[in-house]
Amino acid sequence: MMTTKDPVIKLTNLRMSYGGHHVLNGVDLEVYPGQIIGYIGPNGAGKSTTVKIMLGLVEGYQGEVRVFGQNPGDGDVSYKKRIGYVPEIAELYDTLTASEYLTFIGELYGLSADDAEMKARRMMTEFGLGDAFNSRISTFSKGMKQKVLLVSSLLHNPDVLFLDEPLSGLDANSVMVVKEMLALLAAQGKAIFYSSHIMDVVEKISSRIVLLDGGRIVADGSFDELKAQNHEGSLEQIFNQLTGFNEHQDIASRLVSIVQGV
Amino acid sequence: MKEMKSLQVLDRFRGLFEKIGVEYPVMRRIVQVKLAMDARRKPTLAKSSNQKRKQDTAESNQFLRSLWLYVLFGGFSSMFVLMGDNLLFQMSILFGIMMFMVMTSMISDFSSVLLDIRDRSILATKPINRRTLTMAKTVHIFIYLFFLTGAIAVIPLAVGLFRQGIGFFALMLLELILMDLLIVVLTALLYLVVLRFFDGEKLKDMINYVQIGMTITIAVGYQVLVRLFDFTEMDIVFKPAWWQYLVPPVWVGASFQTLLHPGEGMTYAGLAVLSVVVPLAAFLLYLKLMPALERNLQKLAEPSAKSGQRSGKMLRRISDWLCSSPQESAFFRFTWSMLGTEREFKLKVYPSLGFSIVFPFIFLFSNGLDQGLEGISGSRSYLFIYFSGIMLPTLIMMLRYSSRYKAAWIYRTAPITSEASIYKGALLASLVRLMLPLYVVEAAIFAVLFGASIIPDLIVAGLAMFAYAIFCFLCMRKGLPFSEPFEAAGQQNQSFVFMGLMLLLGGFGLLHWLATSLPFGVVAYGLLMIAGTWLGWRLAFRTQGTKKVARPDGND
Repeated sequence: MMTTKDPVIKLTNLRMSYGGHHVLNGVDLEVYPGQIIGYIGPNGAGKSTTVKIMLGLVEGYQGEVRVFGQNPGDGDVSYKKRIGYVPEIAELYDTLTASEYLTFIGELYGLSADDAEMKARRMMTEFGLGDAFNSRISTFSKGMKQKVLLVSSLLHNPDVLFLDEPLSGLDANSVMVVKEMLALLAAQGKAIFYSSHIMDVVEKISSRIVLLDGGRIVADGSFDELKAQNHEGSLEQIFNQLTGFNEHQDIASRLVSIVQGV
Repeated sequence: MKEMKSLQVLDRFRGLFEKIGVEYPVMRRIVQVKLAMDARRKPTLAKSSNQKRKQDTAESNQFLRSLWLYVLFGGFSSMFVLMGDNLLFQMSILFGIMMFMVMTSMISDFSSVLLDIRDRSILATKPINRRTLTMAKTVHIFIYLFFLTGAIAVIPLAVGLFRQGIGFFALMLLELILMDLLIVVLTALLYLVVLRFFDGEKLKDMINYVQIGMTITIAVGYQVLVRLFDFTEMDIVFKPAWWQYLVPPVWVGASFQTLLHPGEGMTYAGLAVLSVVVPLAAFLLYLKLMPALERNLQKLAEPSAKSGQRSGKMLRRISDWLCSSPQESAFFRFTWSMLGTEREFKLKVYPSLGFSIVFPFIFLFSNGLDQGLEGISGSRSYLFIYFSGIMLPTLIMMLRYSSRYKAAWIYRTAPITSEASIYKGALLASLVRLMLPLYVVEAAIFAVLFGASIIPDLIVAGLAMFAYAIFCFLCMRKGLPFSEPFEAAGQQNQSFVFMGLMLLLGGFGLLHWLATSLPFGVVAYGLLMIAGTWLGWRLAFRTQGTKKVARPDGND
């Protein structure tokens, strides 16, 4: 999968701890244009911390971080112009209408208000939300909010996308649209950093899978490479195996026995 | 989104902002969006006054419309400018009041501005430099402080201009600006300290209590301010003391004294210098600390670590003892926990709880104290304790509202045989948790004031409170507890029922008063209350099993 281009993201021996608790224990990672990286791991493995460090939201880490060759901590924020971000929790200024919100976000990325509005309207229409464009986001369903977030992360044509559970709340048809869109964006040379807990999706869309556990990368490669190394059928099984989790049957049967005990 | 006047004023300072490294167009856009969002939000003070809210009327700032209340308060306070010639004292009191008003309003209404965690994932991920972000937030807050301070200070300023002259006016203007600086810094610092040592839940609780405190203070404040006119006759001599260096309003008072009535010595000059230096220094500190606050805000998003296991056993024993069925006792405990944790419910109900605490004493002291403390022990003024029941209609009406009303689907999906047990449990829990402790404490204070001989009367009055509560429940439209949105509370006009219930409370008191003048009257009255309670308890819940209740689920 390696290309000859320079990496857009380069993490070297990245470490981070919150009050004595080590979240990241030396992560090394290079991301190249055109890759769709499925960034997976159990809860608390340090996935969102990594993303937040790259976005400059979290400071106090050790190791080296380079995004487009730039260090997020050096005070120059211009590199963020080339990043699109969909956070895990749908946090939006939801008293605004979709039109107001998206125009505002576009402007923050340096677009003119007219360009941002037109682009947002066209994208929302493609997502089937043209009619809701001038309604307040607070009235939207979960899937609709997710679409607004997706649009807001793409308005400025970023080179790197950080997506945290981007498909949550979307119906099956919209999921197909978004998956296809991501593939096309990657084909144009954008790097997509995709975290999710739904292994089937990660398995299908990722060109490279990075598995994080206990603040360390425990697997890195395409799905076929991982399969060859681990002799397991699905990504879900590989995930279980690599994170040392093999008691799901025991736990499930204990749960059922508790249910029946009442 | 329309152009706001405030932004056009801001444009004049564009050069200044750019000089300190702020990207002006970006900052302006953020402030514009924030102001537009605020226009769709309601402040605490206006909540009780405007009951009917039209959906999506023209965009107008509710906050600005609630400012008349502050103007009124400023008008009251302006008497301190008028009254005497002791500028130090007058201005200290005036600024004390204004600082208190602005600061509490800042905490209750603008905490959402200072503590908006969405800013982190929405704004901080965008290519905006840190100074611009900090400035945008600061400017946003100052625009509101400008209106708020303007409203509260407009009358005192005008009175000062006419009574004390232009110098006074100019000085007051300057001190107001410095006061605002200090308030912003103090509030931010307060949040920073709370967040540093506690978790986000603690901070939200604290804000909740400040909101409640402010509502009570304003209601009681009108009473007290009117009475304060007596004070003006007194001659107050101010002696410099070390603690005055710690009280910001005194600094302000001192600067008025020093500049307008010079010749009072160096102590006042020192205090006056503080009034200028401290706010400016504090503001520089604030600009430095803002990023630290932002970082700590992350805590607001994290779940809190503390668990509520403390009173579990005890509560279970109380509920089993009071309730007749397991389901009833389950709802007792459910209501008990909801009353303690639902913030919006507290915000709506606790102010009237405050009235219940304060009103008996206000009436007692304004009517019964003419003969002094010895005089009241023989009188029947202790019947003012009936005013402690003033919260019951509000409490019982509010019981059916919640900010998470949609969770009420649980009533429909769970196999609950009779709705009576829901109502019984909820009503009992609210009375035992809120009314009982309040009444016991007030009764104890009254017993000390009036002597032990009134204890039988207090017990009978307590029974009457219980009967009254059930009567309130009977009179009001039934609704499952915590099953309707608070917004609906404004829509049903129940003010007639409310008025009637208030009068009824007076009726209970009057009946008790009549009973005290008959032999064995109080005993008879007590028996009547017990019978009434027993009958009410049968009647109030009887029909619930069969009757269809309004759908708890809202529009979805």
